[in-house]
Amino acid sequence: RGGAATSGVKRSGLPKDVTIARSVFGSRRKQEAEANAAPPEDAEPDLACPPPRSRRYVPPENLSRLLKARVRALAGPALAADWRHTPLRDLGLRYNLLAQLAAELGHTVPNSQLHQMRTAQDVLNFYSIPVKDASKFDELCAADLPPNLKITWEY
Amino acid sequence: MTGRGTSSRFLASVLRNGLGRYVCQLQRLSLVFSPASPSSRGARDYVEEKVVDFARSNPGIVVYVNPKDCRGPTVVAEYLNGTVREESIANRTVEDIAQLICKLASQSGLEIIRIRKPFHTNHPSIQGQWHPFTNKPSGLGLQTLHRVNQPGFPPPE
Repeated sequence: RGGAATSGVKRSGLPKDVTIARSVFGSRRKQEAEANAAPPEDAEPDLACPPPRSRRYVPPENLSRLLKARVRALAGPALAADWRHTPLRDLGLRYNLLAQLAAELGHTVPNSQLHQMRTAQDVLNFYSIPVKDASKFDELCAADLPPNLKITWEY
Repeated sequence: MTGRGTSSRFLASVLRNGLGRYVCQLQRLSLVFSPASPSSRGARDYVEEKVVDFARSNPGIVVYVNPKDCRGPTVVAEYLNGTVREESIANRTVEDIAQLICKLASQSGLEIIRIRKPFHTNHPSIQGQWHPFTNKPSGLGLQTLHRVNQPGFPPPE
């Protein structure tokens, strides 16, 4: 802005080319200053804590088929007539199944519920529950609100 | 007309609302509640579940939802004639709050005080209120005293 001001003041005294050159240099200097200022600002977010991982989980369409395939692959002799009733007593089987599902679907069974996973049906029930990570207000605001409803956030 | 302790008014409507067209007299509703306190639980659930449907079905009412630190959750209703009614919704269920808000939406802004008569009309008489000279020969009141004192008065009907 200083360059533009000075070029404006001196426009009457000096020929046009010089004033144009002055303003161009002035803007270039401004851009350089901005470029120099930008990297230090960018460095700060890197040092700051990254946002926490999103806990959102949406059960996939073919969940049942996926689980069936996994259980068949891993169970071997323990497979019952209906794959859902396959007991997961064998800890190795339980671990492998749950670890593979967690890696594939991005959603892990919490430690407190591991003892509840006794048959493949329990695992199926657990993985069919969706998890939302948006708070109710965020959801409400994201949803289509009628124009006469106003929600404020001053807390 | 006994002057009682409380004020009273006559039955009235705001600009004959309902005759021909109906204009909802509630102008705006402000829901103030706390995002965490236990007394605001009903209010929070109402905001989650019911307020959007209410706003959609009443497009003439502006609904403000203000989650903030407050002494207790309240709903403030402002009417077109300037009346402001504040009701506490602390420790109430969602259905209670929904019923209350429906009631507020259907009220006009006229004061809730004793109504003197349960009826009101601008034309209390169609053919004219009776007075002692109704159904008497006209000019009766204009008789001079002289005529009155003559024999043969009043004239036979």
